[in-house]
Amino acid sequence: MEQAIVDMLAKRAGLDKALAEFPEDVAAAAEQASRSIGRMKAPSDPRAEPWPPMKAGTGL
Amino acid sequence: MSDLHWLTATEAARAIAAKTLSPVELMSALLDRIARLDPKLNVFIRLDGDAAMAAAKAAETEIAVGRPRGRFHGVPVGIKDIIDVAGLPTTCHSKILVDNVATADAVCVTRLRTEGAIVLGKLSTHEFAIGGPSHDLPWPPARNPWNADHHPGGSSSGSGSGVAAGLFPMALGSDTGGSVRNPASACGIVGLKPTYGLVSRRGVFPLSFTLDHVGPLTRTVSDNALMLDTIAGHDPLDPGSAAAPAGHYASGLERGVRGLRIGFVRHFHETDVPADPEVTSALENVAHTLQSRGADIRDIRLPTLEEFGAVNRVILQSEAWAIHAPWLRERPGDYGQLARRRLLAGAFMSAGDYVQAARRRLEMIALVEEALREVDVLLCASAMDPPSRIDDPVETERTYPRQARTPFNVTGHPALAMMAGLSSGGLPLSVQFVGRNFAEASLFQVAREWERAAGTDERHPAI
Repeated sequence: MEQAIVDMLAKRAGLDKALAEFPEDVAAAAEQASRSIGRMKAPSDPRAEPWPPMKAGTGL
Repeated sequence: MSDLHWLTATEAARAIAAKTLSPVELMSALLDRIARLDPKLNVFIRLDGDAAMAAAKAAETEIAVGRPRGRFHGVPVGIKDIIDVAGLPTTCHSKILVDNVATADAVCVTRLRTEGAIVLGKLSTHEFAIGGPSHDLPWPPARNPWNADHHPGGSSSGSGSGVAAGLFPMALGSDTGGSVRNPASACGIVGLKPTYGLVSRRGVFPLSFTLDHVGPLTRTVSDNALMLDTIAGHDPLDPGSAAAPAGHYASGLERGVRGLRIGFVRHFHETDVPADPEVTSALENVAHTLQSRGADIRDIRLPTLEEFGAVNRVILQSEAWAIHAPWLRERPGDYGQLARRRLLAGAFMSAGDYVQAARRRLEMIALVEEALREVDVLLCASAMDPPSRIDDPVETERTYPRQARTPFNVTGHPALAMMAGLSSGGLPLSVQFVGRNFAEASLFQVAREWERAAGTDERHPAI
């Protein structure tokens, strides 16, 4: 992930302090996230539901 | 009675009930051993020795007057320090929560106390059950009793190390990406991640709501089943709690494996993440042994470990970010570096990424369900390597993700890890058994047969 994008996303997430004090950790976290997202396959069915499902009336 | 520290929970409970063992005598022996070994192993964040001894004296009196309180009356238990024990801090091994005193017991702790178990104290963990082993936290990381230069696995590191070292016969841990089964694997004991929702998470600091499980760590399969009998059950105040019947997990322990269909997921350790040759050989030995005792061993294919791992991380880090964002914004320097890096990752995942992971997750659940219609139990690797040296962060970072535990946090199926043998360097090797939802009894049945065949319950570190 490009540094400018990392900085922009970090600031949007309110991580100015982390960005100033631990820039290497922020960059490593962004890289980690990007790697995991890249390794995920899209669901095979466009209608696929997420888990856990919404179930009305079964909450607290 | 000699070697009190190697008594199993079941043996100790029976001896205490029969009045051939005093709970005070047992507690004294364990506290002496803790005083001798804990400075080397760093199992405890907080030892509650005086309260534990007072509880042991009370148990002795109750038993003497014929008022037994339950199946673990007088038996000590250690609690991972993300699980609440009333009156003690739940620090999550972090500076962030150093003064966070719990006002009530977690449900799993209440259930153990109701059966008479005695809480010995709070145990080391990876910071917030995600960052470790770390050397930049208020407390040092736990070490492996088989060789204290090596890590004991995590994140329930104190739970695994303490049980294996004979500091207590049973402990509670939590498992979001393998954190009960990793220390069980690294320390050569038995660790169970129950079916999602079988054990209440109420009073346990969350890492990832839809992946978190509470589970038992013990030295024997039968102790593990008995602990699960105690802590399992519906909790209407835990939104993830299952309304499934619980109990009698030890009922089939001695049935053997004749006729059971066991699916061997070889591609996990052969091609997905090629294992250390000693691990491969140990897994083949487990499969061969179970086959020689009548099990029908078949090959089974599941999605790859890489994909399971990616889905696990996207869900885990997104949910963890939701919990930690305020502290990461205001107090990033109060986290250790490993936890900070791992928790910050969630800030770089979108809502769409999270939903995609949750959708793919449902498909993965269906694929594992399909496999478990063909067979009764799955057999696969847990760790792909023996535990690395704790002072070698590069090797630890390389080997920690080389595992096959996260798939079953993603799918919620019950999974048990235990010793498969010892490496040439004298460190534990491991195997994992996976079952149908709420069929923990079948897992225990297979695990017990392997335990009986290999004598894993008789192997202790020479510490």
